[in-house]
Amino acid sequence: MNRFALGVGLLVGACGVVCAAPAGEGSGRLQNGTIAYVMTHKFWAVYETPKKEECPAGMNDGPREQFRTLYGDGKGPKKYSIVEAQLQREGDLWHPSTTPEPPQLKFKEAQSKIAYGMNLDGKTGPNDFTSPDGVPGVDNQLYRAIGCIGNYRNMGTINHFEDLFMNSYNDARIVIELTHVKSLENSDDVTVNIYRGSDRMMSDSTGEGYLPGGTQHVDLRWGKQFVSHTKGKIVAGVLTTDPIDRAELPWGSTFGTHAYHVFRGLRLQLKLTDSTAKGMLAGYVDTDAFIHHLNTSWSTHHHSYGQLSSQSLYRELTQLADGYPDPKTGKNTAVSSAVNVEFVQVYLVKPDEKTRVADSGGGR
Amino acid sequence: MQVRRVFQGALCAALLAATGVASGITLEPYWQSPASKDKEAYVPELMPPGVQVVNTENEGPVFATAEGKTLYMWPLTTLRNGQAGDRPKSGKATCDGTIYKETAGYMSPYPPGFLLPELETRKSCEALWPPFLAPADAQPVGKWSIVKRTNGDSQWAYDDHPVYTSYKDHKKGDVLGGSVSLIGGEMGAVRYPVGPTADIPSDLGLAVFRTGRMLVNHKGFSVYSYDKDTPTKSNCTDACLQTWAPVLAPLMVKPQGEWGVMERAPGIQQWTYRGKPLYTNLTDTDHRRVIGTDIPDWHNVYTQRALAPPSDWTVQDADLGQVLADSKGKTIYYYSCNDDAEDQQSCDSPDAPQVYRLAICGNFDPKVCNETFPYVQAKPGEKADSSLWTVISIDPNTGKLAQAGQAGALQVWAYRERPVYTYGGDTRPGSVDGDNFGEFNGGRNGFRAFWLRDDYRANAHGRSPGDRR
Repeated sequence: MNRFALGVGLLVGACGVVCAAPAGEGSGRLQNGTIAYVMTHKFWAVYETPKKEECPAGMNDGPREQFRTLYGDGKGPKKYSIVEAQLQREGDLWHPSTTPEPPQLKFKEAQSKIAYGMNLDGKTGPNDFTSPDGVPGVDNQLYRAIGCIGNYRNMGTINHFEDLFMNSYNDARIVIELTHVKSLENSDDVTVNIYRGSDRMMSDSTGEGYLPGGTQHVDLRWGKQFVSHTKGKIVAGVLTTDPIDRAELPWGSTFGTHAYHVFRGLRLQLKLTDSTAKGMLAGYVDTDAFIHHLNTSWSTHHHSYGQLSSQSLYRELTQLADGYPDPKTGKNTAVSSAVNVEFVQVYLVKPDEKTRVADSGGGR
Repeated sequence: MQVRRVFQGALCAALLAATGVASGITLEPYWQSPASKDKEAYVPELMPPGVQVVNTENEGPVFATAEGKTLYMWPLTTLRNGQAGDRPKSGKATCDGTIYKETAGYMSPYPPGFLLPELETRKSCEALWPPFLAPADAQPVGKWSIVKRTNGDSQWAYDDHPVYTSYKDHKKGDVLGGSVSLIGGEMGAVRYPVGPTADIPSDLGLAVFRTGRMLVNHKGFSVYSYDKDTPTKSNCTDACLQTWAPVLAPLMVKPQGEWGVMERAPGIQQWTYRGKPLYTNLTDTDHRRVIGTDIPDWHNVYTQRALAPPSDWTVQDADLGQVLADSKGKTIYYYSCNDDAEDQQSCDSPDAPQVYRLAICGNFDPKVCNETFPYVQAKPGEKADSSLWTVISIDPNTGKLAQAGQAGALQVWAYRERPVYTYGGDTRPGSVDGDNFGEFNGGRNGFRAFWLRDDYRANAHGRSPGDRR
């Protein structure tokens, strides 16, 4: 255990006594109209039913299954070379195409009419979903693509590992800061700043939950690309922000990798307390960047954990893309999406122009 | 963005000359001057007749044959679907004359049994890694022992691992067969240069970075020195000690070589190295960090560092730290490749099959490759201080070395005789969007950014045998 972990351990131990009482309004976490939160959980929002009725044809095949379908298992009468098999698949993965897949491979879209998400375009169209609580006009075409891929479902490995690695590596630390807050119940003009933090989060004694009241140093040295700002309002304890035209969110995965997602029209809808913020992050995720993230932060081996074919998914995303048309080609470049998110409250330390994040201990 | 390009004009030339800087890139903190005499000391040990120790730029002291060929070992490595390499203490050498035809299936998710490329010219493991043979009457000496090859030959082993030379090494001090500084991730079962034990106290250690061999304490935390100290006096006292912790030495220690002790207080001794008292940084929260160097007058401590890369290159701030970049600020990428045969041959050099690289960078189309990951071209007559950086002539259509005078050949920069690249998708100085591009996040068959500093992960340093970070 390094020194910081030991320190956290001591804090956690102390909190077993000191922090047992719930922190209520007026506990002082909203200070000078400002409060901040750090993201502790994020899951691509996939609506699932117990009997998987949204996937009547079953789950999709992944790299192992597709490879076997196309080239066998290496023991058959026809001898393939690595160039025509493995390297061809990898070449297709790194240079994805919208041309139809080989006829043996068939992609299975989610068939549900219900999905999580927000109404991003303010309209209700024939392809929109209805939310589980009956609100029409939900834009989440990403769900159609990933809803029947095991990796993205609630028990899938993407959901597990993206959360695990976000919490394990500080370069994937997402913090939000709300300023000009009159109260956490109602506030009509709030400024919302998104940063990358740089500290470990304060975990509870189980190691699986996170406690409010920790500290995050804002990384304005290496993390400038992850800074964005917007406005919002709090109504009945729910923060709803205006869309951010373009935001990059650190979304690292696996060892050593440090990829990010590019959202267009990113917005937040969060139920706030002075300890937590829970709700949804939604927007149009850039399709090329989505696949680039998938490939550079996961390997084909990792895609295989949950039958996730990057090549097939790319074709789906380009077909389902429903926002931000390319001004030259007119083709949509981004697909509507939603992410379930949870935060706990933290105190931010922001370096001034002369102070680098490193002076405070930097990335941990 | 912070482009650390340095000085232009006559004044700067004078400054450069005065500081011994032979290039336009700032030497500190990553590189040492050609005039520097810093060279890692080692503990002398018994060696077989003819074996010598040669200092190399980034690997430090390595064992070499009488002809100067660096010696390597190939330790057994656990891969996704099996193990490859030499099993220690087995008395056997796995690398033999077999020419493998098919994949072994070690790397998930692809099964074994697929034909390898360029079979007509594929060589055996022992042709690429000639065993360092021992005379029939050779006797074990020190850590050196003898193993029997399948053909009955005797082969020297060090630390219970058979040792080999590499066909890639041409001259004394070459370490082209495998580099500790670049090994990491899922590269497969790779070869490591073998060297004597570094002459450092047993409670300290070494971390091999891309550009230097850095001292760490026994827990792996970085060691620092302070410009305002003298060999006999620490000027880090009082409040300074809230950030810096002296590296304490046992009371019975005596000065030896470059190592000494300084008495901080009666009964409390602090290690010194090359006349500098040593510290750790109390705000370093993970191993092998360089964050303390952001505080003026404080430096990491290296036994030796590499010499500077091409003179007009730059250092750029990126999302994890700093990367090496070309003169326009575009991040430099290197390409890693190991095949999936039993003998785990590397495929990252121009003389290896290029289909691996072409698949990743262009789906087999060299034109797409040259847009996705273009070579970093060198200006006529350019050379670097560092022997690790050279200019080679490449046929951009095949990726192979060009013939002398070949039309369309490119003069490109190479690191350890492997071409380096920029990424077409990088949009601004410091972009590293091409990092981890390829099989197994670029480690197995793909591209990785040339990280110099990584404050969050472990991308700026390599891996030693048994080191799983």
